[in-house]
Amino acid sequence: MDLFLQTALNGLVLGGIFSLAAVGFSLIFGVIGIVNLTHGVFVVAGAYLALVLHDSFGIDPLIGVLPIGAVLFAVGYAYQRTIIHWAVSRASVEASLVVTFGMAMVFRNLLQLWFGPDVQAITPSYGFQSVAIGEIRIDVVRLAALGASMVILLALALMLARTHFGRAMRAVAQQPLAASLCGLDVRRIFGLTFGMSAALAGASGAIIGIVQPFSAATEVAWTLNAFVVVVLGGIGSPAGALIGGLLLGLINAFTAQYVGPALTQAMMFLVLVGMLLLRPQGILGAAYGETR
Amino acid sequence: MSEAILSGRGVTKRFQGVTAIEDVDFDIPEGAIFGLIGPNGAGKSTLFNLITGYLPLTSGEIRFRGEPLGAMPIFRRNQAGMARAFQIAKPFRALSVRQNVAVGAMFGRPDAHDVEATAAEAMRIAGIEALADRRADALTVGELRKLEIARAVATRPVLLLADEPCAGLNPSETAEMVRCLRSVRETGVTVWLVEHDMKAVTSICDRILVIDAGRKLAEGSPAEIVADPAVIEAYLGAPLDAAEGGAG
Amino acid sequence: MTRPAHPLAVFAALVAAVAVALAPEALGPFHIRVLQFFFFSAALATAWNLLGGYAGYWSFGHMAFIGIGAFAAAHYAMAFGGGGAGPASMIAPVAVGALSAGGVALVIAYPLLRLRGIYFAIAMLGVSQIAAELTNNVGALKGGIGVFLPSPTPAGMPPERFFYYLFAVLLGLCLLIAWAIRRTRFGYALLAIREDEDTAMMLGVATERWKIAAFVLSATLTGTAGAIYGYSLGYFTTYSVFRLDFSLNMIVFCLIGGIGTLWGPTIGAALLLFLTQVLLSRFLDVHLMITGALVVATVLLMPGGILRAVGELPRLRPKREGGT
Repeated sequence: MDLFLQTALNGLVLGGIFSLAAVGFSLIFGVIGIVNLTHGVFVVAGAYLALVLHDSFGIDPLIGVLPIGAVLFAVGYAYQRTIIHWAVSRASVEASLVVTFGMAMVFRNLLQLWFGPDVQAITPSYGFQSVAIGEIRIDVVRLAALGASMVILLALALMLARTHFGRAMRAVAQQPLAASLCGLDVRRIFGLTFGMSAALAGASGAIIGIVQPFSAATEVAWTLNAFVVVVLGGIGSPAGALIGGLLLGLINAFTAQYVGPALTQAMMFLVLVGMLLLRPQGILGAAYGETR
Repeated sequence: MSEAILSGRGVTKRFQGVTAIEDVDFDIPEGAIFGLIGPNGAGKSTLFNLITGYLPLTSGEIRFRGEPLGAMPIFRRNQAGMARAFQIAKPFRALSVRQNVAVGAMFGRPDAHDVEATAAEAMRIAGIEALADRRADALTVGELRKLEIARAVATRPVLLLADEPCAGLNPSETAEMVRCLRSVRETGVTVWLVEHDMKAVTSICDRILVIDAGRKLAEGSPAEIVADPAVIEAYLGAPLDAAEGGAG
Repeated sequence: MTRPAHPLAVFAALVAAVAVALAPEALGPFHIRVLQFFFFSAALATAWNLLGGYAGYWSFGHMAFIGIGAFAAAHYAMAFGGGGAGPASMIAPVAVGALSAGGVALVIAYPLLRLRGIYFAIAMLGVSQIAAELTNNVGALKGGIGVFLPSPTPAGMPPERFFYYLFAVLLGLCLLIAWAIRRTRFGYALLAIREDEDTAMMLGVATERWKIAAFVLSATLTGTAGAIYGYSLGYFTTYSVFRLDFSLNMIVFCLIGGIGTLWGPTIGAALLLFLTQVLLSRFLDVHLMITGALVVATVLLMPGGILRAVGELPRLRPKREGGT
């Protein structure tokens, strides 16, 4: 029983991090309507920035989240206002898929050139401590990571629900044309959404950096993860990302413990395809499968 | 009284809490031009989607040429003789008009022979032979609508479901479309059309079915429908002048 | 609907075939190897294009079939021998590799092809990750330890030449199949599916079947290429053949050259490989970046790829109404 609970706890902790790592992707998908294949690179970039801040300046990644988020926000905003916008307006929404894919290759290569291909990890000062809850142990690192993720997600949810900008984003997500007719600067909102998404991805990367090893090559896995989270939990909302993320975390943990650690990706894919095929009405919407 | 080529009994469609179509019966006699009218949101396109197989029935039965359709896949319905001209015309933009129509001719019947001749005939019926080599994305709305009809006719159907073929057309284009539909019927194809343009509907249809909020409201000849008080209240509006017959 | 082959095209094809056959006489091993890799890549891209370009279903996971083809061939050869030595020993294992890839495709086709657009793309990416992971972690598949295919090169011929010819023939086969499909009902069905699948259904196109056929054919050809590639490696482990960059390259070559066209994949492969293998061969570190930058540039400047930009052919996809 203890093993079960321990696994469940591990899964939830992991899942909380997955949620944060995916929510930006979900927002872009929901608000702008494109699938951002560069997403994973932003996550990994955040991890690398956290590494630099920690190893060179002694700044704890969880504090580094703020400057990292700011930097990536700027990058994301610029990226959307230029390349993404050109792709969508010149060609089509599908073109954004290809462009984000190509840019992922470029950014990934840049990261590899700058930091090298080796796998990295960040070991914060509390890296080897753990805390006990009854019979169950949990690393302080993971607990801190989960806490940080939840705080950020909550902040995001509040922003979306309560602030003017959040309302504007939701309006644009539902009806871009009507929103612009009501005076909202849709392009600016797209840019801000993208910036926010990149910031969230980078923040999650910083947090992930203390929990597991990373390299530029792992970016694909994070993009895929984000997609699975969205498929499971729904598009466009932090709540959806939370549900999807927690579910994915649990699946991951239980597969690793009871089936085999090397088969977690396989299980994730099976779940993904299963969800896609059985999808209940409305969770995915008609997104790319237009019918008459 | 000719055989009903298409008939429905108790046709019902529910979506999570919304009943789009409720207990609708219909019999479409062979060789007729039948009409389907009703306010926006009444469920006309939903009904067509149920008949053509794009949506499954919640309950009820639809029979085509005497056989119940059940869950027959869409392409099989076409091969069995049912065709549809869609409300939003979506031609194959990469192809010419002729090639568009040829796709219909190629696949519409399991024993499709002589694709070129069938396509040419379909274009002639729709009145677009002159446009044969034009790229499909270079057509006007009226021409696109006729292409929809031609493409559907090329599949050699016995029943054509036409979803608002006159929508967005000016009066002369509408008259051409009416002529086109009459040509289709002359080849022996039964036509059932959804339309808002009352002038077109009353001039071409033998009988009209009226639905409102998913339910069958009335059925009868154009003259009967236009005079039916329930129809007037739900859809047509009280005529300014009794002889005019409707606002649409 | 079929037009007779243009005599000029046939003549050009013959000239090209002769040039390909004679080239190794004049070239050194390095260039032969580059060309070998080019034929391999172009064949892969052409095979991918059958599903991605013709039918409009972009698979981001075709590397799965390369790996399956290679490993199936190797396991067969290790278990049953190839039968003799030299090129003849390849026949059975390669056939097994091809059929295994096609078989897997057949099994997953029905559920996967119900997905569209990005969902299909990502699902295929997932399939390929699974295939790689299973191969690597399931002991019997020996992905971690590695598998072995005996050299089939005939005595007296340098191996790079042998595989040069083999891959050239494979490319020719893929092009022939791609060319033939366009002229038949199969080609029209795929085109209708790509342009508007729902309308196609209402025009009598048995979309399910045609899609599955394209998928299985594409997978089989890819598996064949994978098996031959395995032979060219001799000994390989999971990630020598289950390579994500192969998956990506297939797509990139088609995008750059002209997706949905006959020669696009080959042209894209030629251009990109010339850039990376010849011009930038000393700068391995930036290959990914160059490829990515080219992809982005192509989309922004020539959305339909080179062939479409050069010819009078139509846009890649109709523009969506209502802006983003």
